[in-house]
Amino acid sequence: MSSHRPARAAVLAVAAALAVITGLALSGCAAGQAVQNGPGSGDTNYVGGAVGVTDYRAGHRPTAPPVAGPALTGQRVSLSGYRGKVVVLNFWASWCGPCRSEAPVLAQLSRTYQGRGAQFIGVNIKDLGQANGAAYERSFGITYPSLYDPAGQVLLAFRDTVPPAAIPSTLVIDRTGHIAARIIGAVEYSSLNSLLGKLTAPAGSSPGVSSG
Amino acid sequence: MTSARTSGVTDPVTEDGEDAPDLLKDGPQEEMAGQPAKPFGIMGWLRWCWRQLTSMRTALVLLFLLAVASVPGSMLPQNGTDPVKVQQYIGQHPLLGPLLNRLSFFDVFAAPWFAAIYLLLFTSLAGCVLPRAFRLAVSAQAKPPAAPRHPARLPFGTAYRTALDPPEALAAATGLLSGKGFRLRAGGGWVSAEKGYLRETGNLLFHIALLALLAAIGLGAVFGYKADILLTEGDGFANTVAAYDQYHPGRAVAPGDLQPFTVWLDRFDASYVQSGPLRGEPSSFAASLRYQAQPSGPMRRYDLQVNHPLNVDGAKVYLIGHGYAPQFRIIDGHGHVALQQAVPFLPTGDTADTSEGVIKVPDAQPEQLGFIGVFLPTEVAFGGQLSSAFPAALHPAVSLVSYAGNLGLDAGPPQSVYQLQTSGMRRLPIAPQPLFPGQSIKLPNGAGTVTFTGYRQWISLQVTYDPGRVPALISAIVAIFGLLVSFLVRRRRLFVRVRPAGASADGVAGDGVAGGGVAGDGVAGGGVAGGGAEVEFGGLARSDVAGGFEEEFAALTEALRAAHGGAQPAAPGPPVAPDESAMTSEDRK
Repeated sequence: MSSHRPARAAVLAVAAALAVITGLALSGCAAGQAVQNGPGSGDTNYVGGAVGVTDYRAGHRPTAPPVAGPALTGQRVSLSGYRGKVVVLNFWASWCGPCRSEAPVLAQLSRTYQGRGAQFIGVNIKDLGQANGAAYERSFGITYPSLYDPAGQVLLAFRDTVPPAAIPSTLVIDRTGHIAARIIGAVEYSSLNSLLGKLTAPAGSSPGVSSG
Repeated sequence: MTSARTSGVTDPVTEDGEDAPDLLKDGPQEEMAGQPAKPFGIMGWLRWCWRQLTSMRTALVLLFLLAVASVPGSMLPQNGTDPVKVQQYIGQHPLLGPLLNRLSFFDVFAAPWFAAIYLLLFTSLAGCVLPRAFRLAVSAQAKPPAAPRHPARLPFGTAYRTALDPPEALAAATGLLSGKGFRLRAGGGWVSAEKGYLRETGNLLFHIALLALLAAIGLGAVFGYKADILLTEGDGFANTVAAYDQYHPGRAVAPGDLQPFTVWLDRFDASYVQSGPLRGEPSSFAASLRYQAQPSGPMRRYDLQVNHPLNVDGAKVYLIGHGYAPQFRIIDGHGHVALQQAVPFLPTGDTADTSEGVIKVPDAQPEQLGFIGVFLPTEVAFGGQLSSAFPAALHPAVSLVSYAGNLGLDAGPPQSVYQLQTSGMRRLPIAPQPLFPGQSIKLPNGAGTVTFTGYRQWISLQVTYDPGRVPALISAIVAIFGLLVSFLVRRRRLFVRVRPAGASADGVAGDGVAGGGVAGDGVAGGGVAGGGAEVEFGGLARSDVAGGFEEEFAALTEALRAAHGGAQPAAPGPPVAPDESAMTSEDRK
């Protein structure tokens, strides 16, 4: 520190200015980026996630929040109305590729497990028209109900438990209303099938039955 | 960066020691130079490295590096903001792309080298500031050094004679200086005073604020998030990861950490300059929002404008863009409604908001349909060429090119919603024609009907949560304040020495100081017999950056003389010619 005093002060001033500039660059002044951000031609329009299955052991399963609302078809659907059944809650959008690729699997499994203690419920999110969802169900022969949730209120309800952090996401809820598994990305027939097999097995042998 | 300063801490207690050399030296030394000839062991090397790292020069180099390193972040597309563009870039630059990718140039702010610069800078600053803080704490308690033998020979100095007894004169001087807020140290026949410790404090404040600024930015990067969403009139979104179009969380942000608010867009109003040279320029944007801070909370309203974000629990919602979303109703070949919605089109960038977009109808039967469209807010036909004349939707029209076949969507890969993959589709033979609200086109071969039912507007929102924002602002303000203080406050010392009149004629006149300045000796002998004192008063300003010490010294001299019973013009003599040796080498640095 042997520099001339005034020189050092000037240098410090430069340093201060630089620090502020870099600070802005780092923190990403929101207003400044207005022009570049926002929708662009590269937009997929949704947040993809790390694809994968998360299992929750019996006894460590978060309680599913109460969820209810109007379905695409107009009737009212309530999660608590299916207590005692294993519920597959699938978040989807009609324009989303991975959703469309998993839809046949869900349609098939929902029929397979119809009389075997599992209920499928869809949650149609980020779709700008109810007719689109209805056409989607028609395309894939989906017979189970889907909540129409354009503003993401059902997503929000799961915030404190297992946030479905991508589209598509699927939550599997056990017979006591606890979340047993979360699947981010398109479900695969075999893994969902075996999951449902375990959860819908008779109470005595099922790891899915937990208290509370 | 080793300094030439080799002297150790001068001992200010040795009253009659060397006259001036270290008068203005800080009590505790900046322990720099020293320890020269010792052989470098490992510890020596480490110590040397640490010194280099914590030197001002290194800190500056790192700061510049940080600025330079963030340049590619704005030059190249970033994974954080536009992953698709990154892929396009890599595709277009087969040689450079993968290399840049490996070097994290598409993730600049998360790159290891960026973090290295950042952390080194942080360490450098911390290593510089913390010892400095310690030294300041010590020097804050230090007393000024002893007065030199002849204060009058300092750059600012004066000598005069007073009728008061030496002890009285000293007491008066002490009283005056302490009343002016000087820190004092007294000895036999002298008093030293110092002021301006704020300079160092300001300097220190600046450094600590810089450190805090960096920490705040880091805080924001770790605990903050940024997300984008496009919202059409009548639509809403919840602040959840899955609801967003793009989402960039900090490292420590979990999806459950997002504030649970929901926002609905009731309507958006844009107004444009109607005439004059700026015709078509936007004059105002306003979005009428409704929002709930929690799912069951009360519904509130907010009028969102550019640069006036909505603040919900610390998350800020910015209005960053807008556009048109023409509404379509598409009946497929089986007579079902296959799609009914407002489809956001993107502005092409011209001044009349001509917008382009695609409509994908994946659930049309028997074949999927796709359309590439242009939306013209104010349609004018110009020699058969359609264009838009004004950005407001005064005469909206769309023009569509129709495709049928396979959209490529059902296979699963994510697609841009703004681009149509026509590779699996064939173009339907319909002459493009403008459609106005309510008009339809019938697709050939009974493939269906498309109706343009109207339009809505969309806005794009950016939601940011940056817990470091306020701390960063405060730090920046404090840094500037500290810098100002260190610029404006100067450290200065004053010395008063009082001798009985006539006692030290040799001393005062001694050494034949230039011009024989203190000429009062003769007067002293004859003038005030039986008492009185000779007063020498001198001062030094540590730096001449902030001028004004001259005036201050003059005023103080005036006051001191007044306190000593008025001027006795006998002795003053001109201030001794600035004695360069008294202004120590320290002060000139």
